[in-house]
Amino acid sequence: MLESLVENTASLQLEEVSCCMCGQSDAEPIAVGEDFEYHSSPETFLAFFCRRCSLVYLSPRPTADSLPCIYPANYHAFNFSAEEFGLSYKVRSWLETRRLRGPCRDLSATARILDVGCGDGFHLRLLRQLGPSSWQLEGVDADARAVEAARASGLVVHPGDVQDVDLLLSSYDLALLIMTVEHLADPLRTLLRIRELLRPGGRLMVITDNTATVDFKLFRRRHWGGYHFPRHWNLFDSKSLRALFGRAGLEVEELTTMVSPVNWVYSIRNLLVDWKAPEWLVERFSLSSSVSLGVFTIFDLCWMLMGRGAILRAIARRPMASSAANDLSEPTAEQ
Amino acid sequence: MNSWPRNPIAILGAGLAGLVAANELQRRSLPFRLFEAGTQIAGLARSFRDEAGFSYDFGAHFITNRLAAALGIGGRCRDVRFYSEAVWLAGRPLTYPWGLAGSPKLLFSVLRSKLSGSARPPTTAADAFTAEYGSDFARLVAIPLIERWSGIPASELAPSVAEKISGGVVHLVQVSVARRLTARAVAHGYCSEQPESIHVWHVYPEEGLSTLCEHLASHLSTGIEMQSPVERILVEDERVKAIRVHGKEVEVSAIMSTAPVNVLAKLVEGTDALTFLTRFRYRPMTFVNLRFEGRGLLPAVMLWLPEADYPFFRLTEAPLSMPWLAPDGMTMLTADLSCDVGDGIWTMPENQIGELCLEHIARIVPDARQRYRGCSVLRTPLAYPIFLAEYERERREFARSTGVAGLSSIGRNGEFAHILMEDVYWRTLRRTSELASWLDTAPPPSTLLAQHA
Repeated sequence: MLESLVENTASLQLEEVSCCMCGQSDAEPIAVGEDFEYHSSPETFLAFFCRRCSLVYLSPRPTADSLPCIYPANYHAFNFSAEEFGLSYKVRSWLETRRLRGPCRDLSATARILDVGCGDGFHLRLLRQLGPSSWQLEGVDADARAVEAARASGLVVHPGDVQDVDLLLSSYDLALLIMTVEHLADPLRTLLRIRELLRPGGRLMVITDNTATVDFKLFRRRHWGGYHFPRHWNLFDSKSLRALFGRAGLEVEELTTMVSPVNWVYSIRNLLVDWKAPEWLVERFSLSSSVSLGVFTIFDLCWMLMGRGAILRAIARRPMASSAANDLSEPTAEQ
Repeated sequence: MNSWPRNPIAILGAGLAGLVAANELQRRSLPFRLFEAGTQIAGLARSFRDEAGFSYDFGAHFITNRLAAALGIGGRCRDVRFYSEAVWLAGRPLTYPWGLAGSPKLLFSVLRSKLSGSARPPTTAADAFTAEYGSDFARLVAIPLIERWSGIPASELAPSVAEKISGGVVHLVQVSVARRLTARAVAHGYCSEQPESIHVWHVYPEEGLSTLCEHLASHLSTGIEMQSPVERILVEDERVKAIRVHGKEVEVSAIMSTAPVNVLAKLVEGTDALTFLTRFRYRPMTFVNLRFEGRGLLPAVMLWLPEADYPFFRLTEAPLSMPWLAPDGMTMLTADLSCDVGDGIWTMPENQIGELCLEHIARIVPDARQRYRGCSVLRTPLAYPIFLAEYERERREFARSTGVAGLSSIGRNGEFAHILMEDVYWRTLRRTSELASWLDTAPPPSTLLAQHA
């Protein structure tokens, strides 16, 4: 609303969309929210729950032209640095390194790894420390600021959309899509592209927010951190993510949930910001707040043990055998 | 999906429903033509701004942040911070709900009705209100209000006029707490199509209600055909075939009409399926917007007046909720006068009707005359559908389907339903989706149009 603390008053261009999985609009509006974190625009946004696919999606959503507006210069993915985030950076680095070990276990010394939506290159830097120097690490990101930040660490990063960047087909051993698929306009199209970039048998690891969680249930009407209004356009549970892989012709090897305190912390923060709580209290709930991150890590760990952790982690493989599934053409969504 | 050549879908009326339908058809890449009989879009969703800086609508409208977000105009709206209702009884206001609960007579009436339950389903609105609220509350508040609003005895109205959107004391308490905690006018009993939530509250466009329709119209790549009343709807084999506009027939694949249903019945040619709609009636309304010095003249934003010695049944001080609708230090009271086309209220000159209202407002606001700075009047012959018991069965059937394949009747007048703006939006989307599905599965139309030429 207009009264919000809005840093960028430029009006966004919005477009209505249907569910990207089924192409239909058989959906319930479950949340109305604002950009509680960056106040990038005065707009309000609506999240829908598709009754057919259980996908949660944003509609109307910003058009492609509006991306620079909704990803401001201080967006955390552009500069998640140890200097700025201190202990959180160290804990996250440790956790993420553990998560990367699994899909990297069988990689050869000359493996090619592509991080799609690499941001400032956080995960590529972890991989550089984790694996042999002979690994060929590459990133792709559409945002020039992210590319610049990643290249500053000496990483090879291709600017642009993975659809358009000229990359060698059937050449990558591992692709990463970490906290990225939810930002995509057409996740299926991107997965199909990644599939053709992977060599037969190559793997894709997807990490994304999980909507089948307690934090989602509690905060789904407005403040859930995973909405990240208006930047998360498609949000999944295990059912819809599995269906996405199926349509992209990728075989799911592993689909589990993981611990993350971030959505808990940001759900509470969003509520406090929205209800105009004092600044000192709001600041207790941020990526810099070790206490709240620690408390909710333990809390979410309990839920993860029951299979309802805040984050979904899926590893899928491009099939080895030549089959009809290997010759997929991009399906078109019906209106 | 059907592959037969697709004629355009004709949309009749460029009000909120017609424009929502047009945008949805455009999004679905379905061809359409949007016909508006008048010289302006928006119909009853129009708003006005006078030279003195007052903004007003056809009656006071409220929308929600959810509707604003769905339309993509959230950034052009302001939060409504405050909303309240009260009933004026025996010279004093009883606020809703807690003030009414403070009246022992009314509280006892409601409690007794809840405890006793109803023996059989009500057959009239009078029975329904008595069963819902008890005899005293129904006699003093609910029945007089519905009769003053509709101009019809409650014993002749269908029980469906008493249907509520939501209920429950727990929800009411939640809403009250949320309103205080968030300083937002959390919507209550506003929308039946989507769940109520403490996170859905009232907002209002900075530039007035017209923003909704102007925004929708600006997104259409096909122009609106203004001053193009649809003269006939041609039906063949109980399926729409064509329309006649400016004397020419245009083949269509389907029709979405926002026309009042009694008008729609007269437009249709080639079937008797809609003849029953000619009996359906709407209540005309005169809205008098009175300008005053000061603010906070009424004890609540909306004041209901069930007693017959007032010419209006409702007074609204919209600037209490939306301060930007009146200049600083000024306010506006909107008086809703139920009437019939051509009667004394309908034909009364502006200054005279202002004087009539002022005379009675002075009983509520003692210094109203000293504060008064003039008025403006809006009239509409189609403010609300009247649910007469005599056509209730047909009304319920019509709510399910028009009975003519390819003909959808949308919007408040088109659906003949007591629905507010957010419901109009969601229901129009649903009906557009249903029509699109029908087009996908319907067999190709036969080519018998020549018979009408």
